[in-house]
Amino acid sequence: MDSEGGVGRMKLNTEMRVNRITDEVWEIPMTEKSGMLVPARIYATPTILRSMDAGVFEQVTNVACLPGVRRYALCMPDGHWGYGFPIGGVAAFDVRTGIISPGGVGYDVNCGMRLIRTNLTREDVQPHLEQLMTELFRRVPAGVGASGFVRLDHAAFDDVMTRGARWCIDRGFGWHRDLEAIEEGGCIAGVDPSTVSDQARNRGMNQLGTLGSGNHYLEVQVVSTDRVFDQETASAWGITGQNQIVVMVHCGSRGFGHQVASDYLKVFEKAMRRYGISVKDQQLACAPFASVEGQDYFSAMNCAANTAFANRQVITHQIREAFSAVLGRSAEELGMELVYDVAHNIAKVERYPEGDLVVHRKGSTRALGPGSSDLTPRYRTTGQPVICGGSMETGSYLLAGTQGAMRDTFASTMHGSGRTMSRAQAKKTIRGEQVQKHMKQRGILVKAVSMSGLAEEAGFAYKDISEVVETVDRAGITKKVAELRPIGNIKG
Amino acid sequence: MSHAFHFLDDVAIADLAFDASGDSLQELFHGATCAVIEALADPTTVGSTWRKAIERTDEDPAELLFDWLSDLVYWKDAAGVVFSRSELTLTRQDHGCWNLTGVLYGEPVNGSAQTLRADVKGVTKHLYQLSQNGGRWTVRVVLDV
Repeated sequence: MDSEGGVGRMKLNTEMRVNRITDEVWEIPMTEKSGMLVPARIYATPTILRSMDAGVFEQVTNVACLPGVRRYALCMPDGHWGYGFPIGGVAAFDVRTGIISPGGVGYDVNCGMRLIRTNLTREDVQPHLEQLMTELFRRVPAGVGASGFVRLDHAAFDDVMTRGARWCIDRGFGWHRDLEAIEEGGCIAGVDPSTVSDQARNRGMNQLGTLGSGNHYLEVQVVSTDRVFDQETASAWGITGQNQIVVMVHCGSRGFGHQVASDYLKVFEKAMRRYGISVKDQQLACAPFASVEGQDYFSAMNCAANTAFANRQVITHQIREAFSAVLGRSAEELGMELVYDVAHNIAKVERYPEGDLVVHRKGSTRALGPGSSDLTPRYRTTGQPVICGGSMETGSYLLAGTQGAMRDTFASTMHGSGRTMSRAQAKKTIRGEQVQKHMKQRGILVKAVSMSGLAEEAGFAYKDISEVVETVDRAGITKKVAELRPIGNIKG
Repeated sequence: MSHAFHFLDDVAIADLAFDASGDSLQELFHGATCAVIEALADPTTVGSTWRKAIERTDEDPAELLFDWLSDLVYWKDAAGVVFSRSELTLTRQDHGCWNLTGVLYGEPVNGSAQTLRADVKGVTKHLYQLSQNGGRWTVRVVLDV
């Protein structure tokens, strides 16, 4: 449709009216769909807004119809169609009158990003890169059906669900100070493992310390001085530039989290009839947050979130071991400190002017600003690190949370670049071997379990992350700190 | 009797979608099962040393197929296997329910011997629809990867 606004008339993939609020914020009023309880807001430049698929507009307005939704249903600039909520979706619901929905969290509960710094430079690592990537590929299992080296029985797996990354630290898989650099300290309290099905347990017990496949990866990256945008903040987080080597991990709760989501979608389909809730899309199945079903899902989801924190912690241990083995120095000597670990598929109770709200972030990242009492002292003056993964060919970004995000977006921002081409189409366009060869020519060494999976992740299948990052920077909901360029990548 | 499936280019861009069809409900189940097996790994590279018999009953064939396909994803993780083939029989019971008896064949994941593909995390209800048109049964399935 043609949309009115200060930047002229635009052709969008929706018939709904989309009003310009600013150059980066667009609003769909409540009049555009029957049942909307709040307006929908999309963060995007005009170019990104034009490129957004029809699912974004349909789904963000469906979310605006859910009971107890407050202020706005939001979508970030990396948004695209998802199951129920769009990817990039953010919505907050009153804890007393609102709902909780697995469709607002995503199947891969606590899929998230972790960044580890080093004292190394590209010049230190380049001569050993092939050996390093081989060692990382060996130590961090990836791909279909991969199982990790940590052997758990049911009681131990209960401990992982309950204690998250803390469980790992107690067993020597990391350093105590790592916990200060993980959202929620790597452990969401108050969970009850009895809310998790046996099926979910059986899927998850062997997967600790594994990467998975799809868009999950482990990447060795370089930070050059000319790509550090906020020297003071970068320095506070141990990012020095000067061709510094950092390591990024993107993965979540694997099959375990998916089974939790699938289990409770079924529970909620039945519960909705009992609670008189109707939704615009079956994948938005939900239950009142305060109900037994809602609280059981919240507990099971947090079990999965803790398991994902533990998964990334075990992988971090393996990364440190690999670097240490190849470079002949201890991880401490290599300065392999955790910059941060942040979830981008989760629901959390947070306090806002409206009261206590269940904030759903699906393919979006918490972005607490400076001064937030929810941050550890280490980050209180800088704001929270936000780690955004781009395609494996283009690079990624480190951002900082702002008070603008806390005011405007329930402390939320983007999480990545977002796909523009389907996996099936990408595979028809290029072969995995070609992607691997092209990337090697560009100085990026890739190890992949599946060549077809590698083709699906080709850079051209994704949006330009730089434009997505510029949008959230200009909108004031995060600020750029540094760009991270890949030199080595491990894919499932 | 025949079944078929094909993966879709422009549905669910971040995941994998396919259409399956069959001359009968049982053939449709065969087609959809083959699609999930192919999504995980090239079945011609997978042996059959692992075997699992499964029986399910449901009055709604769409729910029965959904749960059966979800079984494949579950056993992929729980047993750490990929699949070479399946056998299944679908029968209508006296009280109207559909009964499925199936056997999955495969072997433990071994990346050096098998051509592995996507690690499917689950079957979704997005666009999920089972229908009969002109005597042929069809279903659209979106797999979360």
